[in-house]
Amino acid sequence: MKWPIAPAVRKPGLLNLVPVLVVAIGLVLLFPVRSEAYAGPGAGFAVLSSFWTLFVAFLYSVYAFLTWPFRHVLRLLRRRKAYGKAQVTRAVILGFDGMDPELADRFMQEGKLSHLAKLRDQGTFLPLRTTCPAISPVAWSTFQTGVNPGKHNIYDFLARDLSSYLPFLSSAQIRGPKRRLRIGEYSVPLGKPEIKGLRRGTPFWHWLGKAGIFCSVIRVPVTFPPEKFPGVLLSGMCVPDLKGSQGTFCFCTTRGAGDKFREGGVRIPIERHGSVFRSYIPGPEDPLATNSGSGLRVDFELRADLRHNQARIEVDSQKFTLKIREYSEWIPVKFKAGLGFTARGICRFYVKQLSPEVEVYVTPVNIDPGRPDLPISHPVTYSIYLAKLFGPYATLGLAEDTWALNEEVLDDQAFLAQCYANHEDRERMLFDALDKTPQGLCVCVFDTTDRVQHMFWRYLEDDHPAARKVPPRPAAKCDRRSLSPHGRPYWPSHGPDRPQDLAARSLRSRLQVVYPLRQPERVAASEWVSRVEFRQE
Amino acid sequence: MKLPMIASVIAMRWFSVVALRLPLINSPVMLVIAVSLVVGLLMVLVFRAVSDQKAIRAAKDQLKAHLLAVRLFQDQLTVVMQSYGRILRGTARYIRLAFKPLLLVILPITLLIVQLDRYLGWMPLQHAQPFLVRVRAVSPDALNEVSLELPKEMALSAPAVHLPADSEVVWRVVAEINGTYNINVAAAGETFSKQVVVSQDLARISPTRRRDRFWERLFTSGEPALPTNGPIQSIEVAYPPRNIDLVIFESNWIIVFFVLSILAGFVFKSILGIEI
Repeated sequence: MKWPIAPAVRKPGLLNLVPVLVVAIGLVLLFPVRSEAYAGPGAGFAVLSSFWTLFVAFLYSVYAFLTWPFRHVLRLLRRRKAYGKAQVTRAVILGFDGMDPELADRFMQEGKLSHLAKLRDQGTFLPLRTTCPAISPVAWSTFQTGVNPGKHNIYDFLARDLSSYLPFLSSAQIRGPKRRLRIGEYSVPLGKPEIKGLRRGTPFWHWLGKAGIFCSVIRVPVTFPPEKFPGVLLSGMCVPDLKGSQGTFCFCTTRGAGDKFREGGVRIPIERHGSVFRSYIPGPEDPLATNSGSGLRVDFELRADLRHNQARIEVDSQKFTLKIREYSEWIPVKFKAGLGFTARGICRFYVKQLSPEVEVYVTPVNIDPGRPDLPISHPVTYSIYLAKLFGPYATLGLAEDTWALNEEVLDDQAFLAQCYANHEDRERMLFDALDKTPQGLCVCVFDTTDRVQHMFWRYLEDDHPAARKVPPRPAAKCDRRSLSPHGRPYWPSHGPDRPQDLAARSLRSRLQVVYPLRQPERVAASEWVSRVEFRQE
Repeated sequence: MKLPMIASVIAMRWFSVVALRLPLINSPVMLVIAVSLVVGLLMVLVFRAVSDQKAIRAAKDQLKAHLLAVRLFQDQLTVVMQSYGRILRGTARYIRLAFKPLLLVILPITLLIVQLDRYLGWMPLQHAQPFLVRVRAVSPDALNEVSLELPKEMALSAPAVHLPADSEVVWRVVAEINGTYNINVAAAGETFSKQVVVSQDLARISPTRRRDRFWERLFTSGEPALPTNGPIQSIEVAYPPRNIDLVIFESNWIIVFFVLSILAGFVFKSILGIEI
């Protein structure tokens, strides 16, 4: 499988002049004279920026260093020797959402999950008892609070409004500011949106924090809105997109209006103006609008280059080139509402086709982790820290766009590419949390297992009706790339070529995805995909 | 090599002929502000053109991340110290990335500043106010042969003072009328002229005329070199240094330019979305 990232554009350099200038400056330095001039604002920028950073870092470090003994004593007093009799100083919990224990057991027996098998052999391997109903938000709420659904109040993704029976998100409620100021055509919100968590109970990391044990909690479902506790937390499942939904993708096309999508997602027409195609990304509601229904939008332009099977896309002030069936990097978009009100998000573009029709898929607009409009972490700076360290990442609770795959806007390959990209981000976060938490607790939940099993279970059943809907396109050879026991990719010498062939095989047909854990390192997404075991047996 | 210098000299000539006739530009304060804004803008544009914006952005993001790590994980002392080490490494990387564009602009900017210093570093002489003319000879023996010839609008206000230890002779002169004059220094049968500006306005000032090396003259003089084999080493007119009055404080123009051009650069880089 090709995991596509738009190539970075290299600028033609004026840098050839650099050696000449170095020589020139060297000559000047050979004949030094007293001068009262300074080397211009360039030097000022460099000095100020670097000096400022160092200065702030130095202050922080000195502060941390000087106050550490006092804080350490305080912690000792508060935690009442939290680590005093501890047999281990760090515990790590890795959650795999939706992971079927029977499949896991079977794959371990077949030697396909060697890392987990090793853990099993060294420790304990037992099936977990789940909740009733056995749904992710319910089960993960019980996991973190230790109480049953009747106590933590999460029974499903959705709950119903008892007065109207209309459904609403069961985990969190987001309301606009109560007070507004009417100025002409604008209705200016006075205050911030109110975000109310609906899950009851106390997560166990709160108790650990009170006992003086630092916790890093990453993407555990139903942790939005993030609650204050002594540790860091990045919210997971149930974080909304910028529209406030659980993920509304956008499909821009030159085709005529067809059927509406059955689930979340909007179809946006692409207008042709000569060689330029124009469309837009729908955003959140205009916070200044007096009537509901007027949404913000960000326009974009596309120029098709059919000869090279690629398109040049311009959105806001950013320009990038995308090959067909290739994802862009995360693109920051800014929805402007007037009077200086803006909403910032990030999204990825995927050019589905350029001829005969132009079709572009845009992921749901995620809350920008580097400049979050809603709190998605505790402290707020934790999401910013991760964004600065690793670049933008998916913040939406259900980041893998299952709806787009259901609607056949995305095919299996594109969906898997999305899953793996998110998985790669999560893995980096986990290893960073391990690095930053030498003592304490690390919890990280991976939900790619859930999404893949939801969307590809159809391949596990011989007569599954959805399997018949798989388009009759030959799967790329690399779909069958697998990992050898040594962790290196190899090419199976046998196996069917088409997905429907997979489904047509006996009940033993399995499509299996295994995620080898490894130490953090900067690897290209394509390389990561190549490491993923995606095997047909 | 001389191309940027020639360009900057031509620009300055144009500046003195055309731009200085504009009423606002004729004010030193306004000139410093205008030049700072223009230079700030040009700097960020050049910076964008020649720098690796993506790498700089990444380097800055990494720096910020490590800074945040110090704050987020302050109870883990090892993490704090590791982050501090990473900050040092990140700063070195950032400086390396910022150095390339700096190399490209350092020469033209230096030349520009030197040329601007002719206008803004010194004030022209005032009429009826005495000033000193200092001539340095190649040896004390030559001092006896040195004499000063003044135009009719100028006069000596005191006898010449000889300083054999420094091989110098100093005259105190006063000008009666505003204008640009040439005073002549005669020595060993040769005559060497030096420009003197007496004015109320902004003008191009060359405080000294000398015979030293090209680069030395470039930074200190605005006049042709004195003959290398002649008896005179330098002729200097003591112009009063100029301070820029910004109501709340008064300072040398370089400091004002430093602050304003950096501020302008930061404003323009935000507007234009340029990573610095």
